[in-house]
This record gives sequence, C-alpha cells and structure tokens, in this order.
Amino acid sequence: MTKRYGKLTALRNLDLTVEEGAVFGFVGPNGAGKTTTMRILATLLRPTAGEAWVVGHSVLNQRREVRRAIGYMPDFFGVYGDMKVWEYLDFFAACYEIPPETRQLLTDDLLELVDLAHRREDYVDALSRGMKQRLCLARTLAHDPRVLILDEPASGLDPRARIEIRELLRELQGMGKTILVSSHILSEIQEICTHVGIIEAGQLVATGTLAEMRKRIQAQRIVRIGLTGRIEEAQDWLSSRPDVMEVQPVTRNGEGDLQFLFSGDDDGLARFLSELVAAGFPVVMFREESGDLEDLFMRLTKGVVS
Amino acid sequence: MRERWRTILDHPLFQLELRRVRRRRWWPGRRFFLFYPALLGCALGYGVMVTFAGSLENRLGILVTGVPGVCLLSVINWLLVLGLTWIAPALTAASIARERELGTLDLLQTTLLSERSLVLGKLAGCLAQLWPGLLTMALLTPFQLLLASSSGAIFSLGSWPGVWFEGGDAAWMGVGTWLGLLLMSGLGLLRPWSDIALHAAVGLFVSALARSASVAVVVSYGVILGIRAALYLVNALLSAVLAVIPGLLMSGALAGGMSEGLVGGLLMAPIIITSLGIICIQVVGAVLLVYAAIWWLRQA
Repeated sequence: MTKRYGKLTALRNLDLTVEEGAVFGFVGPNGAGKTTTMRILATLLRPTAGEAWVVGHSVLNQRREVRRAIGYMPDFFGVYGDMKVWEYLDFFAACYEIPPETRQLLTDDLLELVDLAHRREDYVDALSRGMKQRLCLARTLAHDPRVLILDEPASGLDPRARIEIRELLRELQGMGKTILVSSHILSEIQEICTHVGIIEAGQLVATGTLAEMRKRIQAQRIVRIGLTGRIEEAQDWLSSRPDVMEVQPVTRNGEGDLQFLFSGDDDGLARFLSELVAAGFPVVMFREESGDLEDLFMRLTKGVVS
Repeated sequence: MRERWRTILDHPLFQLELRRVRRRRWWPGRRFFLFYPALLGCALGYGVMVTFAGSLENRLGILVTGVPGVCLLSVINWLLVLGLTWIAPALTAASIARERELGTLDLLQTTLLSERSLVLGKLAGCLAQLWPGLLTMALLTPFQLLLASSSGAIFSLGSWPGVWFEGGDAAWMGVGTWLGLLLMSGLGLLRPWSDIALHAAVGLFVSALARSASVAVVVSYGVILGIRAALYLVNALLSAVLAVIPGLLMSGALAGGMSEGLVGGLLMAPIIITSLGIICIQVVGAVLLVYAAIWWLRQA
C-alpha cells in the first residue's frame, strides 16, 4: 500500500500480513505511519495505491463486510460524556444492528468483561481515563469482531490501568481474536505480542514472530567491559577487530567502561575474552547486556519521520 | 434501506438525540400541546362566524374583534419561522463536525452505519431537537389558512358560499380573487418550510466538511446569507419579468370575452409562479446538498 497526503508520503509500498489468531505489535516512532495503516484497514482512509484485505474482504470495495469483521479503537477517541455507561454501549450495539432484545444482555456481558459492571449507571464523563479506555475497548467488541485494530490502546494511562488493558488483551487473544495493536511503548508490546512489525517513515523495517526478533537481537550482542586503565588503547584494539562494531565509551561512577556490538556465538565470546586478557588489558568487568526489543528498535530505526 | 431499523425513528442517532433532549429539565413534554384543541375550537368558531356572517359590515365587525387573537397567532408564527430558519442550520452545522471534533466520527464510521444512514440519522437527530417548534408551526398552519380564507373572502367582496347565492360577474371576480389569495397564502405557508429545509441542508453539508463545530456554524451562516441574497435577486428578476405577463393576458382575455373573475385571479399569477419557483429551487437545493454531504463522507 502507498498513501500520500499531498506531497507527504505516509506509507511507501507497505506490505504486511498478519496471521489469524496472532497478536501483532505494530511498533514505530510517532509519524511513522502506524495510524495511517490502521485507518486504512478500518476503512476510514483509502490508500493512494495498493489494496488491503481484512478476513478476505477488500477495504476498498467491501467496506461493509470489513466493518463487520473489525473492531477499531483509534488513538484519539471521543466518548459521549453525557451518556450513561450502559447507554453508550447500547448505542453502539444499535449501530452494529444488534436487535434491542439482545442488547441488554450483551451490554451487561461487555461491562463484566472490562470490569465496569459496577459503573453501569454512571455518566461516561465521570469515568477515569483508564476506565474510558476500557469502555471504548468494550465498544469495539460489541459485534464480536474477528479482528481488533487497536491504535495505542494504552497511551496516557497509569501503570495500573496499562496492566489492566494488557490483561484484557490477553483475555481477548484467548478468545481467538486476531489483534493488531500499535504502541510506542516497546516493553508493553513485548509482553503480549506473538508477532512484531517495526515501521519507520512509512516502510516496514522488520517483521516476524517475537522469537525471530529475539534471534535477530542475539546475532549482535551488546557487550560491556570495565577497565582500570588503558582505555583509549583498548578502544583502538577493539575497533581493529572484525567481529566488533560501534565501540563507545560509557562512564560509570567515574570509571571508564566500553560498550560495543559483538557478532558471534558463545564460544566466540569466550575466545574474545581470553584474547582481551592475553593482550594485557586490566579487565575488571565483562558482561553481556541483555538485548530487548527496545535495542533492536533503536538500532533499526534512525529517528526519521516522513 | 438495508439497515435493520425500519423507520428513521428507530435510528440509533435519532434515539441518542431524543434521549439527550428528554434529559433537559426545561424541555416541554407532551402536555405542552394540550393547548391545541382549545385553540382549534376557538379558531374554527371564529372562521365559521366570519364566513357565514351575512352582511359585509357584520363580517368586518367580527374580523376586527378577532384581530388581537389573529395578531398574536401571526406573531407567534412569525417568531417561530424566524427562529427555526436560523436555529436549524446551527444545529445541523454542529452535528457531524461536533462528532469529528470529539473523535467519535471515526467510531461511528467503522460501525455498520452507512454514510447515508449517518447523515440522515444526524439530520433526524436535529429534528428531534426542533420538534416542538416544528410541530407548533405545523399546527398553526390551519389557522393561517383559515385567516387567509376569511380575509380573502372579505377582500374579494363575497364569501365562498355567498358567491353561489349572489351570482353574476361580480361574484366570479370574487371567486377568482379568493382562490388566488388562498393559493398565494398557501405557498406563503410552504415557503418557511422550504427555507428551513434549505438552511438545515446547508448546515449539514458544511458540517460534513468542517473540522470543528464552531467553524461549521459560522461558515454555514455566511453561506446561507449568500444564498439568501442570491435568491432575493432571482425573486426580484422573476417578478419583474412576470409582471409584464398579466397585462398582456388581461388585454387578450378581456378581448376574447373571458370572465372578469378569472382575470382577477390571473393578476396574482406572477407572484404565485415566483413563490412556487423559489420553493422548488430551495427544496431541490436542500436535497442535493444532503446528497453532497453523503458523497463527501464516502470519499474518506
């Protein structure tokens, strides 16, 4: 898909497949094109070029079928503050053509699911942000969609509310729903996603299962060493090696540490250490920093925003 | 409609607005309209008296007695028309733009509501807010017609039943004028409805485009003032052109031996044609604007 807004290209030949039943984490800096992609999938925008399908329905020609299949929660969503919580859900259930007879039961079930049953008769305005977010999530579930498209569902929430949303997503995954969730908070995504896609400047930089991503991270491990002296010399020595990249000094309590990327397996790392000691450097600390999604993200993206 | 709701009354957006409206403390309930049967009774009695009151002097006397009441009704009607024609566009202009401002438009658009259903539902929601005014206006229509009929009867020198008893050319002249007056006031009564429809449609269309409700309201008022000025010009031009015709018709008709009574009615033809034209333009414009709003939302 490609999407242009005037001269600005928001998406550049984005090609993405999300498997059924997956929780796909969509990661990228602000302005990378996450929201644009999601809005296209939610039939709110038309791509300038290309095509997208949701559960086999084209977002261009079968919008109604797509809308029936998806539950969409935008990053900036409004609620009708002057409605009661149950009325809010009832209204959207009506918009999804759910007959009045079953709506009451459905509303109760949804409120139970998002843990808002005790606030049923309250006005939406009286809810906290986290509760509103949960209410909005309940709204997206009104017609029992197969796919959920959630744009930054946890943005602006306190840690507790964030964990509650995460638990909810887990529960929904257990119900067999395919979830496309975007976030710029990587630790969150890491915990709930089965698949991850990293997008920057409208292009998909990396995509795969979380395990694949981990492997990718480990192919280049981050190593940190502490020396009592000869730091500049060590820096040169490291830089001259083919299996070491991006050497940079890190200061820790006044002492000089060095951090670098090392490509190689565990044996290679052990060999590297013995060579380092053999070269006569006063090594006091040698450790591998655990690489996570955040590092991968930082390494793959350049901070470019289209 | 493919949607499940059979009538517009079942539409979720209409129901939503109705729920909001009902929550207002100052909102008149159904009791508000209990005044109507009483009013209707008085007016009917009055109309019958004016129509059947024998001599012209008696009729004039009765008419004058009823003047305060008639004036009051006219003033109420006038205020209603004025209010509704300018409140309706503000409501419709705020409707869709407000949803967009709140961020709820995206939510609505991803539901099964089609764009057409969304726009019509929003329009219905505005009607839900205006129904007491609209209903009062509709209920006052018979009084206006009755008034037109009786004053028409007075001014045309003979009431409808009187015509048959008196007979002759003078009576026919009366009938023509009376019918003409009645048609004119009928169109005059339709005109405010077409005004309201057009203004509401302009508001709705601007609302579909605008980012925020306040901008939409201001722009709508501007557009409506522009349209009003344009229609005023059209009206003036049409009247000027059509004013020539009765003269021609009349000379031709009289030469051809046509009844003077019908000629009296013909005198009013230009005004009638002009009002009819303006009403048609407004109604067609309103429908087109609503469809334009739907089309715009479909473009995403």
